[in-house]
Amino acid sequence: MISEPAKKTAAQCRHYAMCKIDFLGTGLCPSGQTKHYVSYYPQGRMDIYHALANNLIPVTQGLIDIARSCTLCGICDKQCHFVTGLRPMKVMRALKEHVESYLEENGEIKGAKEDPILDRLQGIVGEEWATKDPATLVAYANDPFPLTDMKMPRCVVLPRTRDEVVEIVQLSRRESIPYVVRGNGGSVYGAVFTDGIVIDTNRMKGIEIDQDNWTVTAQAGVTSYDLQQEVSKHGFRVNVAEPAATVCGNLVCTGIFSTWSSAYGIGADNLIDAEFVDAEGRIFHLNEKSAPNLFAFKKEVSPAPGICTQAVIPLHPVTEDEEGILIPFSSFDQALAFARNLSKRRIGLAIAVLGNHYLSTFMSPSADLAKRSKKVLQDTLGIQYTVFVIGDRYARDAIKRMTTVAIDNRALRMLMLGLPRLLDGEWIDLIEGFESDKQPFEIFCREGMVPILEAILRPSVETFSSAVDEDLKDFYRQLYSRPEMTDMVWLNSFRIVSSRMARHKHVLPFLVYVPLDRVEVIQGILSELARVADLYGIEHEYGFLTPLDLGKRGILEYDYYIDQTDEMEKEKVRRAMAVIEPFLDDLARKTKGVMGFKYVFSQGCSRKEGFLYL
Amino acid sequence: MTGGTGFIGSHIAAELARKGYRLYLLARSGRQLAGHERVEQLLDWLEVSPPDLSKYRVVEGSLEEPHLGLGRAGCDELLEEIDEVIHCASSTSFSERKRAEVEAANIRGLQNVLEVAAKSRCHYLHYLSTAYVAGKNGGPCREELVETDQFTNVYEETKCRGEKMTARICAEEGIRLNIYRPSIVYGNSQTGKSLAFRGLYYPIRTVLFLKDLYETDIREHGGKRAKEMGVSREADGSLHLPIRLEAHQEGGINLIPIDYFLEAFMAIREECLEGGVFHIVNDKLKRIEELIGYTQRMFHIRGIRACYAEDFEKVPRNGLEILFDSYLEAYGPYIRDSRIFDNKKAESILRKRNITCPDFDFDIFSRCMRYALDSGWGSRLLKKRQ
Repeated sequence: MISEPAKKTAAQCRHYAMCKIDFLGTGLCPSGQTKHYVSYYPQGRMDIYHALANNLIPVTQGLIDIARSCTLCGICDKQCHFVTGLRPMKVMRALKEHVESYLEENGEIKGAKEDPILDRLQGIVGEEWATKDPATLVAYANDPFPLTDMKMPRCVVLPRTRDEVVEIVQLSRRESIPYVVRGNGGSVYGAVFTDGIVIDTNRMKGIEIDQDNWTVTAQAGVTSYDLQQEVSKHGFRVNVAEPAATVCGNLVCTGIFSTWSSAYGIGADNLIDAEFVDAEGRIFHLNEKSAPNLFAFKKEVSPAPGICTQAVIPLHPVTEDEEGILIPFSSFDQALAFARNLSKRRIGLAIAVLGNHYLSTFMSPSADLAKRSKKVLQDTLGIQYTVFVIGDRYARDAIKRMTTVAIDNRALRMLMLGLPRLLDGEWIDLIEGFESDKQPFEIFCREGMVPILEAILRPSVETFSSAVDEDLKDFYRQLYSRPEMTDMVWLNSFRIVSSRMARHKHVLPFLVYVPLDRVEVIQGILSELARVADLYGIEHEYGFLTPLDLGKRGILEYDYYIDQTDEMEKEKVRRAMAVIEPFLDDLARKTKGVMGFKYVFSQGCSRKEGFLYL
Repeated sequence: MTGGTGFIGSHIAAELARKGYRLYLLARSGRQLAGHERVEQLLDWLEVSPPDLSKYRVVEGSLEEPHLGLGRAGCDELLEEIDEVIHCASSTSFSERKRAEVEAANIRGLQNVLEVAAKSRCHYLHYLSTAYVAGKNGGPCREELVETDQFTNVYEETKCRGEKMTARICAEEGIRLNIYRPSIVYGNSQTGKSLAFRGLYYPIRTVLFLKDLYETDIREHGGKRAKEMGVSREADGSLHLPIRLEAHQEGGINLIPIDYFLEAFMAIREECLEGGVFHIVNDKLKRIEELIGYTQRMFHIRGIRACYAEDFEKVPRNGLEILFDSYLEAYGPYIRDSRIFDNKKAESILRKRNITCPDFDFDIFSRCMRYALDSGWGSRLLKKRQ
């Protein structure tokens, strides 16, 4: 019997694959670590339960094994709650109960179909590492992207070496079977599905650091989080993005854009070399003269150039005096001008103009607290946008001379750990009663006010964790006792809170490269995206903007939020996209510096000059 | 009448009802209550008796819309009924960043009211202004229209512009005009009752918030944060809050209670047949030092003191002082005011009726603050809709 609460939770899985990285120090799902297939991770079990509930898959031996291999350790509850507010343990439990009761009732266990292709894949990678069990296939068949339908693959295969990848590709070509390569599937753009072979790189975990040469080589299955962890042990940083995304996949697909791109660049800036297996099964390296010229950019929707099996990326130095700083503004234009100025002057390593949705979401341990604190930031304190910067002490000193109010890391820690009390009625009444030409934040966020705010907010891990479910309070208390959890440098390097932006609903991001010196163009894009969202009744928010290339260009994200289980919402997005795509294409045709991300997708190795200036 | 749900307007409306006048109150719907519900709540608070209530008709509309948001037909119907207009509605925000909102209420809203008055049978119009249209003029401020473009804030500026616009239109239309210019109005001097708790009340409320904050810190958390700010408990149990407030050698705050204002308004309205401008003010200013003394005495606080600018050069402001300094930026011109408001015209009427303004002494202060505290600074004043 299907549990309705479990079914509802399972349907909401965001597919960000955060359960595949140990981002909270809880450890990982034990079965996922050993079995590697997505189906053995909590994300996979959510999909399996959802599929069972909708009669999409039969009960197979593989499904039984997946259900029974869950130890109900509870790690997924902590990880998932941190990111999405969901509690997947009820799904894990429901899956086990469903399987056991099915077996007690002598339910039929479906066998896997014979498939010579599977046999040959198993011949390449070993019997354990290729399968066509539906319980595993379904975990590779879908994601929350509203405009694609589910696609069950024929087989899933997990190679461990480049040569195994070569053999798989050659087999696919000979047999005319389509394939896709999948890192962790965190793009959630419906791009990694096929009815052919899914090549999951999860077993390709090699990392090799060459300190003398300032490089690190990462294989295809290495995630951003794991790579950053590894290099930071040696005192370095790499420019990587979403923590659960595989570095190679992310590089090829997106060119890696992040707030660090202000300093570290995008596209080919992030690559020293890369190894590919092309569609013929041939190996090439980026820097070979005879290789396809992946540094060139062409303005067209392009397929991936091949499977990137490893990448050599630059290591960046870190100074011990780096800290984060936030500069609040009451208008977008002011925030943009400030961020651009910093970029022009080479002040700061990471720079972004954040909206209140992002800021409140990053700070808050629950969606409810995020919603209420967003209102306070905006309506009570008058903060509409915030410029976020990571910089050394010289950069921060310069910034403090350029502005009257700056929230340093001490103040941010205070705000985060005291957040539930920031929303206290008496304190809000006091701020709202303040009569001044200045915005309230210009007074209340001044450095001299910090001791008073500390007395009001009484920041502590106890205060902070009062906002979460009772059974998780202890976990959050321990977690937020760790200094890195309120450290902007660490949080921005490891990006574990940025995945929260879709906590309350699945996010559909619109990414556009923009000319930073044309604020009216940027405002026009924001207005149109907002207008279209309102027209179709879609929830929407400004996301962020990061200046690039000395403030000449920027990357802008604007987000639509949808309930991924609601067919009506999917239809709304379909209609909205039909308006937005031509708008952005037309704007890009007429306006230098505007480039929709869909053209850059899969051309991540190209030189940024190609898509920013040509 | 406009502004009948505001602090001053509601008192005027209640008094007029008691005297037997028939009133149309223009009221907007609030977020929680419809306009007529808000009016009923206020009249209940003002203890207006049921027979007097029948003299009201609440007209749900909006000042800032054409035809006062009543539609042409609704507005035309109203025009037939009006003999007199009392315009109390106003935005009292000082903040330049709210200029658009303030102009919408104080200029465009006023224009809409004057249009209605001009088209109606109205022969008498009362405009509630403020003594502070005098702007940054030093010296005596007369009971006449002001010629200046130097104002402390957008509120003063728009009220001054409003006076001129009203005077011009009333002259064109042959409507007798009274302009009432009160200084800073606080609660009832006898009962302490008030509806509004900004202005004078705000810094007291802030002091009490800080007192409560640091007393809790001392009592329950070891007092570390209090100590950081130099806050401590004295031997007599009072709390030492080290706050310096910048004062000037001259000047003080001009305060009048609502009951005095109301008496003065009614008297001037009845007596003045030729129209005019009237300052309803206190002859005595209250120094900031006195207000500090009252606050410390009533709430068992020490350490707050007035000082001069040079003191801050020697010892920079602490966090508590930054907070109050920001408050004083907006209210400073009213707290350290050295303007003299000539009120001969008003006085000539008020003296006849023995209407005098009480001194804002400690008894009145404590009555008003007690009421403010008991009402939760207004949060427990009026019943919310179920």
